[in-house]
Amino acid sequence: MNVTTTATPPPLEGGGVVTVAAVRLRHYLTALIVPVALAVAWEIAVRAGVAPGRLMPPPSRLLHTAIALAASGELQTHVAATMTRVVIGFGVGAVAGTLFGMLTGASETARRLLDPSIQALRAVPSIAWVPIFILWLGIFETSKLALIALGVFFPVYLGVLSAIQGVDRKLIEVGRVFGLSQVGIMLRITWPAVLPIWIASLRSGLGLGFMFVVAAELMGASEGLGYLLLDGQQMGRADIILVAMIVFALLGKASDGVLVAVTRPLVRWQDTVRERL
Amino acid sequence: MTRLAINGLGKTYADGTEALRDIHIVAQSGEIVAILGGSGRGKTTLLRLTAGLDRPSAGVISIDGRAIDGQAASGTHPAISAVFQEPRLLPWLTVGRNIAFGGRRIARPERQRRVADLLARIGLAGYGARWPKDLSGGQQQRVAVARALIGHPEILLLDEPFSALDAFTRGSLHEMLLSLWQELRPTILIVTHDVEEAVFLADRIVVMRPRPGRVYETMTIRLPRPRNKLTSEYDVARRDVLRAIDRSLASEGASGLWSGAVSPWV
Repeated sequence: MNVTTTATPPPLEGGGVVTVAAVRLRHYLTALIVPVALAVAWEIAVRAGVAPGRLMPPPSRLLHTAIALAASGELQTHVAATMTRVVIGFGVGAVAGTLFGMLTGASETARRLLDPSIQALRAVPSIAWVPIFILWLGIFETSKLALIALGVFFPVYLGVLSAIQGVDRKLIEVGRVFGLSQVGIMLRITWPAVLPIWIASLRSGLGLGFMFVVAAELMGASEGLGYLLLDGQQMGRADIILVAMIVFALLGKASDGVLVAVTRPLVRWQDTVRERL
Repeated sequence: MTRLAINGLGKTYADGTEALRDIHIVAQSGEIVAILGGSGRGKTTLLRLTAGLDRPSAGVISIDGRAIDGQAASGTHPAISAVFQEPRLLPWLTVGRNIAFGGRRIARPERQRRVADLLARIGLAGYGARWPKDLSGGQQQRVAVARALIGHPEILLLDEPFSALDAFTRGSLHEMLLSLWQELRPTILIVTHDVEEAVFLADRIVVMRPRPGRVYETMTIRLPRPRNKLTSEYDVARRDVLRAIDRSLASEGASGLWSGAVSPWV
C-alpha cells in the first residue's frame, strides 16, 4: 500500500465550549493574583506590626467598614449619587463630543472654524474650570455635571475627529461609485468605519468621567463617593477613604465592562488580534 | 450601438504631472475592451475618470451619446459599476449585504433574490451571513464582482481586479466573469497589465504608451467564445498583442520585451 492514513481522534463532546469558559476563568483568576497577593501581604504586615494599622488599615478592617457603610445605607446613597452624575455627565459629554467630532470631521469649514478653539480649551487644566463653573452654574448639581461632561467631551471629540479623517479613501470611493450621496457616505461608510475608534474614545471618556466626578464632588457635595473621600480625610478615617477608592475602582471597571459588552456587537466584524486570540 | 465613448480625454494633476493625453476609445454595447500596458501609462487614471472619481482636464466621456459630468458620474449614471484592484468590501457588512450594497436602488425582494442567485453563481452559496474577514482574497474578489453586477450595470469598469490573485484563482474568476457577462451583457472596460488576461477576455485591446498615457494601438481579437488557450489561433492572437507591445516600446526608444533572443514567448 502506497498511501498510509492516520486516524484523527474525535473531538471531545462540548470541548470547544469548555475550553472557552476555562480560558475566561483562567483570565479572571490571573487578574486576581496581584490584588489578592497584595491584600494578603498587607494584612500580614499590619498583623505582624510591620505596617501601621491606623494609616494603612488592613483588608479585614476595610471589609468591616464597607459592610458597616452598606448596612447603614450610606454607601448605596453615595454610590447612587456618584453614578447618577457620571451617567448624566458622560451622556451629555459623549453626545456633544460625537456631534462636534462628526461636524469638524466631515466639514473642512467647520474644522477650521471650531477645532483650534476646542484644542485651546482642551489645554486648560480640568481643575481650572471649577471656579468658573461654580460662579456660572452654582455650587449644586449643574456645575458638577458640566465639569464631568467637559471631561468626557474632549477624548470623544478627538477620537471621532481623527477617526473620520483617517477613514480609508478607497472605501469612500466605493460609496461614490455606487452612487451614495454625501449624507449616504457619512451614514453608510464613514460612521461604521469610525465605530471602533468611537467606542475606544467612549471608554477613554468614561474613565475621565470618573476622574472628573471626584473633582466635582470635592468642590462641595453633600453626597457621593468624592464626598465620602473628603469626609474620611476630615475624620482621619483612612479606612473610609480606602473603601471609597476601592468602590471607585470597582464601579469604573464594571462601567467599562458594561460599555464594552453593549458595544461589542457593533464591531463583531473587526479582524483584530483580539478576535483571533 | 456605441455605449461608451471617450473623446480627447486628458488629465493633468495639480502638481503638473500629465497622466493622460488625448485618449479616444469607443466601446460598443456588450463589448469587452481591455486597456493594456505596464505601469505609468495612465490606465487606472483613465478608469477613475470614467467612474467619475476624478475630473478630466480635457475631453468628454459619453454614455449613450450623453456627456457625463466629470465628478460622481456613477451617482448620476447608475448604469456604471466598478471592481477595483482590491476587493474593497465593506468589512462591517456581511457578504450578502456587501453584494446587496451594489443594488440599493432595486426593490428589496428582487434584491434578495439576486443576492442569493449571485452567491450561487460565484460559488459562495451559504456564505451570505459571513464576514468579509472570513473569506480568502479570491473569494472576496468574487463578492466584489457580484456587488458590481447585482444592479445589472450597462457599463462595468474593472481595474486590474485579478492582478493580486494566483493563476488558478485568476483563471476561475475569468470563467466566472465571462459567464456573468454572457448572461447580463454589460459593456466592460478592463484595465490590465496581463497580456494573457486581455486576450482571453477582450473583444478589443487598447495598447497604451507611457508618460503621458496615450493610446498606441487598438487591436481586435477575432477569436470565438468560449476561448481555448491551447489552440494555435489563440497563440497567434497572443503573439500579435505581444508584438504590438514591443512596437510600442520600440516607439519609445526602449528595447522589445518579447521579440528578443531571450524571450520564450514568441
